[in-house]
Formats: sequence, structure tokens, C-alpha cells
Amino acid sequence: MNWENMALRELSSLEKYLGLKKPNKYSTQGDKKVPVLQNNQGPPLVGLITIACHLVKEAKRSNLLGESAEGRAVVQQWLEYRVTRLDGCTKEDSKTILKELNIHLQDNVYLAGNHFTLADTLMYYGIHPLIVDLTVQEKEQYLNVARWFDHIQHIPSLRHHLPPVVVLRNTIYTSRHH
Amino acid sequence: MGWRRGWRRKLAFLFTACVSSCSSAAEEDQQAQSKKALKKQQKEAEKAAKKAEKQAKVAAEQQSAEEDDFAKDRYGVSALVQSQQKLDRKLVRVQDLTPEKADQLIWLRARVHTSRAKGKQCFLVLRQQQFNVQALVAVGDRASKQMVKFAANITKESIVDVEAAVRKVEQKIESCSQQDVELHVERIFVISQAEARLPLQLEDAVRPDGEGEEEGRATVNQDTRLDNRVIDLRTTTSQAVFRLQSGVCQLFRDTLTKKGFVEIQTPKIISAASEGGANVFTVSYFKTSAYLAQSPQLYKQMCICADFDKVFCVGPVFRAEDSNTHRHLTEFVGLDIEMAFNYHYHEVIESITDTMVQIFKGLRDNFQTEIQTVNKQFPSEPFKFLEPTLRLEYTEGVAMLREAGVEMGDEDDLSTPNEKLLGRLVKEKYDTDFYVLDKYPLAVRPFYTMPDPHNPKYSNSYDMFMRGEEILSGAQRVHDAQLLTERAQHHQIDLEKIKSYIDSFRYGAPPHAGGGIGLERVCMLYLGLHNVRQTSMFPRDPKRLTP
Repeated sequence: MNWENMALRELSSLEKYLGLKKPNKYSTQGDKKVPVLQNNQGPPLVGLITIACHLVKEAKRSNLLGESAEGRAVVQQWLEYRVTRLDGCTKEDSKTILKELNIHLQDNVYLAGNHFTLADTLMYYGIHPLIVDLTVQEKEQYLNVARWFDHIQHIPSLRHHLPPVVVLRNTIYTSRHH
Repeated sequence: MGWRRGWRRKLAFLFTACVSSCSSAAEEDQQAQSKKALKKQQKEAEKAAKKAEKQAKVAAEQQSAEEDDFAKDRYGVSALVQSQQKLDRKLVRVQDLTPEKADQLIWLRARVHTSRAKGKQCFLVLRQQQFNVQALVAVGDRASKQMVKFAANITKESIVDVEAAVRKVEQKIESCSQQDVELHVERIFVISQAEARLPLQLEDAVRPDGEGEEEGRATVNQDTRLDNRVIDLRTTTSQAVFRLQSGVCQLFRDTLTKKGFVEIQTPKIISAASEGGANVFTVSYFKTSAYLAQSPQLYKQMCICADFDKVFCVGPVFRAEDSNTHRHLTEFVGLDIEMAFNYHYHEVIESITDTMVQIFKGLRDNFQTEIQTVNKQFPSEPFKFLEPTLRLEYTEGVAMLREAGVEMGDEDDLSTPNEKLLGRLVKEKYDTDFYVLDKYPLAVRPFYTMPDPHNPKYSNSYDMFMRGEEILSGAQRVHDAQLLTERAQHHQIDLEKIKSYIDSFRYGAPPHAGGGIGLERVCMLYLGLHNVRQTSMFPRDPKRLTP
């Protein structure tokens, strides 16, 4: 996985979604090719999350960062989760992550409260490669994650650089084996 | 630390011993010997005395026992049945022990499933195939203490002859098949004794896997079962499975005979591999070699060319495939059909699917007991099918898979996971476990498959599936020698090797089609089991040649 391109492509998709007219020019730093945004207003912004939050504020869509103090904290938590737990995880980790998410999404429509936030966007971008590889049976196993994923990927103008993943509406695996 | 301190002393002692033995060796030896001998003698005398005492005690007990045993000729181990006499005695079947027989005195022969002593009583469970009944030996005017003890000590699986009174019970005996009665034993004789240590316990062999895990009790793994097949086949589950299998064969024969088919027998020792050279067993045939038939394909077709019109055969099929999967055997029973048709091969598909439906109906209507017995140990959903049978075209199947996110080419064959997924999608959409997929791509079928007349990429061939797994592969066959030669050349097959096959179509051959199913696989899938070895009595696979 080419992290450099992925992070930059994500930011470019995010810009399109937010309706920002002028695309920014990014550079990268370090081995991990962390994205960097040089702007005129001060020191450079480093890191996917930092830049993403900045873009959201620039587009005057701060509600995407959470509606209350608690909401904002939860959004930040998920953004942290994305870069610390999800990015670069192993095969075993991915199973744990899917399980955790499945439990969390059992009675939540979105990741952070009742509204669509940046947490959903960045988690969607990050988890896409995992979901692409799941079989139909596994998608049924992580039913809530599949439901959330299908919902997010259908949000207009969100899914720019990522191909759609088929999620079946009906469960086809009712018994243990067949 | 003892050895450290002692070693000097030991060395010194040995030294002294060596030295002293050299001097008065003979004398001291003699003395030592006689001392040892004396001790030994004493010990032996003690032992003998003890033994004699014990024997006397046992003899005394036995005597007193015999004296008190008024029932001694109502039980025991019978002499070996060598047809010494013709006893005009009717033996009742366990399954016929119902309240109607209450208070009758009957004889029966069954196996001892369990025996458990409780004070002055002994509870036995007597088993005959799938049926079992509780029996009671109680100290009273008919049975003595010694008789109860004898009954409690009969080893499991021993075959016994029992004379007993049938009694109604107030509370249903849940653990037995005959729940409304129990036997009060008056006479019990062992006809064939089982060795005390059984290689596997029947109770463990019928325990569902999940239950075994939960309660921490033993279940028997497949290899142990197969190694001790004779005992494993005695379980209620195995009895049910193979009775159902016998039913499948019966229904296959009956249905086809009613449709005017003739049963044929085809040779299994053949001179050339019929399906393809790779997976065939070679046998030495006098001065040369021969092969074991991979299918009766060639001979079925020759019978059609010989004007038998509609034929079927039931016989072994040998595939030397080194596949160690849940659904492959090296030897299995093939149920094969071949039929001449008038104008369209769908006439044959209809015949085959109708036969399958008659089999499913026959099993559903006449073998419910067996199906329920198997489900007790291996739960599964009942087998569903539609009438008339669902038939989808290959292109439709591919479309359904693509809708579910699978990427595949139009002419690709279905992989096993895709077959299974398609089976689930079909089940979800049409609610059936049995369907036909028609018009497969020509490229993935054998050379003798008739191409589709309208689209050269496809063929007049079909597969049938049960619970998402393939059970039959069939097609309209090429019945023209010229076309057959072309197709063989296209597949780069050596024409010399199949010369006699092609020749059989040179003297007028009717258009025909057919297909074959595997008996074991069909039974496995009908019952919802997961390993074909469960439906093969003495399975053969790359790793197993016995029993």
C-alpha cells in the first residue's frame, strides 16, 4: 500500500466533498510520507488528521467535527483510532478492529453520535481495503460494519477515489456451515 | 548429597568386598547363599499360605453362594451356538415392544447397551439397531442376588437372549426409543460376549459435537470411527444414514424402471482411460496393464447406439484423485443415466430432474425417522426443492454472482467457493436447495460435449447442485463421428486412444444425453452432513485402504 498516494488522494477527495474550489498543494515528509500543507497563515500543518480538520474548518463545516464538547471529543478519538490502530494493521488486528467496530455500530448509525462527521469519512477511507477483501459470509458476520459502510459509501460525492463495494441487502447465510 | 559423602565409603566397601571374597570366598558364599535361600523359602511359604487361605475363603463363599442361588439355571453364558438344536422360539423385535404387549412373557435377542446395578436391582438398556428398551433384573422370586450381579457384569455390546415380562410404565422413559414399556427379566443368557475394553463408546459416538464441547464429554473423531467401523456402524445415527442410502438406490431404480429405463452393467476393467489420463488407477492385466473405470460414460453411450434407448447403471467408480477434501473419495458408487431423445436435450434434463425429485419425495415421505435420527446428532435444515425443478442459465448465474460483488469472466468456470455462494444466493432468492445450471461455456467442458447451436461459446451441458455443491455433470453428447473427431482434435486428444469410441458412432447413432451422480455425495447433501465419509460405509481415499 502506497501511503503517500493514499493520504494525498484522501485529502483530495475530502476537498472535493467539502466543495473547496481551490485544491491545495501538498508535500510529504519522513519515511512514512506524512502529508504536509504549507500555508501562508503560519507554521506548516503536518499529518492527515490535522490537515483534514483544517480543511473542514476552511470549508466552514465545523459541524463535521462534532456538535458538542463530548461529540467533538468522540470525533477526535475516532480520528486517532484511524491513524494509530487502523493504518498499517496486520491481518489479525483487522479481525479485532472489525469486531470492535461491529459492537460499537450495533446501536449507532454513525461512529460519533447521531450525525455524519469527519470520523465517518476518514474511517471509511481507512477501512475500505479491509472491506474489499471480505467474503459475503464475512460481511454478514460483521453485519453492522457492512451496514454502516454501505451507508457511508453512498453519501453523495464522498466516494471519489474508491471503488464501490457490494453489500447485499439480504442475509444469505442463515445456518452455521452452508 | 548422600551420594557425595557415601562414595568413598562405597568404594572402600567394594574394595574390602573384593579383598575378602578372594580369601574365604567359598565359605562365605555358601553361608550367604543359605541365608538368602532360607529367606526366600520363608517368603514363599508365607505367600503359599496366604494363597491357600484365600482360595479356601473363595471356595467357601462360592459354596454358600451356590447353595443359596435358586435362580442358577435362569442366567449364565450360553455355549457357543453351533446350531446344536432347532428351538421353536419366537423372538420379538424391540421396536414391537409397545403397551399392546403388556403383561406378555416374551423372548428377545439384543445387545446390552448399558448395564447399571443399584442395590438389589440392575437396570439394563437393550438395543437392536435404532431401537432400545429398558430392562430390569430385580432380586425377587424370579431372580437371585447372584443373577442380578451377573447381569450387572455383562460387558457392553454383548449379545443376550432375554425372557421377560413386558410391563407398562407410568412415566415415559425419555432415554429409550420404546418409552411406554419396560421389561422385567426372568431369564438372561449371554449368546456372544464382547471384550471388556471397547475401542470406542457408542454413547460418545452419537454425541453431537457441540454438546461434547460444552459438557466436556468425549466425542469420537472421524479417524477412530473409520478404524473401528464395525462398532461405529452400530450407532443409531449410522444405522439411519445407511438405511436412507439404501432408500436412495431403491428409489433411483424404481423411478427409472417406471420410466422405461433398462438397468445395465458396464465393465470396470478397461483398456483406455475414459475421462482423461490423469486420475486413473492402473492394474496389471496378465502381461499388460489395464485401468479401473473412471465412469461408465463410454459404455452407456455404446448401449444407446445399440438401441437400448434409455439406460441406467449403479456401480463403483474409481478416481485416482489425490484430493483430501470433505467431498472426494477414490472409490464411490455412481448412479448413471443415459437417454436417447427426440429433438431437444431438455427432454433428458426433465427426466433426470424428475427422477431426483421422486427420490427427494420418497426420502421425505418414507424415511422421516431416519432423517430425524441423523439430525439429532447432526442438526441441519430440511432439504427444500421446487416442482418443477428450477433451471437457471449459466449467464444468469454469473449475473447473480456479479451482483454480489464477484468478478469473473463470461466463459470462466465456477470455482467451488463461487458455486457455494451461488447456491446461497439461489436459496435466498428462490428458496430451493436443488437447481440446474444450464448452458455452460464450451471451453470448460469435455471434448464429447455438444456445442450450443446458436452460440459457439456455450454448450448443451448442465450441472445440478444440492445445497450449493455439484452433484451431477451432464450434457448432450456429440453423436457424429466427424464432429467428435474435430472436437477431440481441438482438445489435442490422441485420436488413436479413442478410436473405438469414435467408431461406435459410425453406424447410426441417436441424439442422446445423460449424467451421473455420486450416491455418497447425494446422501451427504440431502442430510446436510459435512463429510462424504459419513455416508460411505468403508470409505476409500488417498490415505485410507482399510477396513
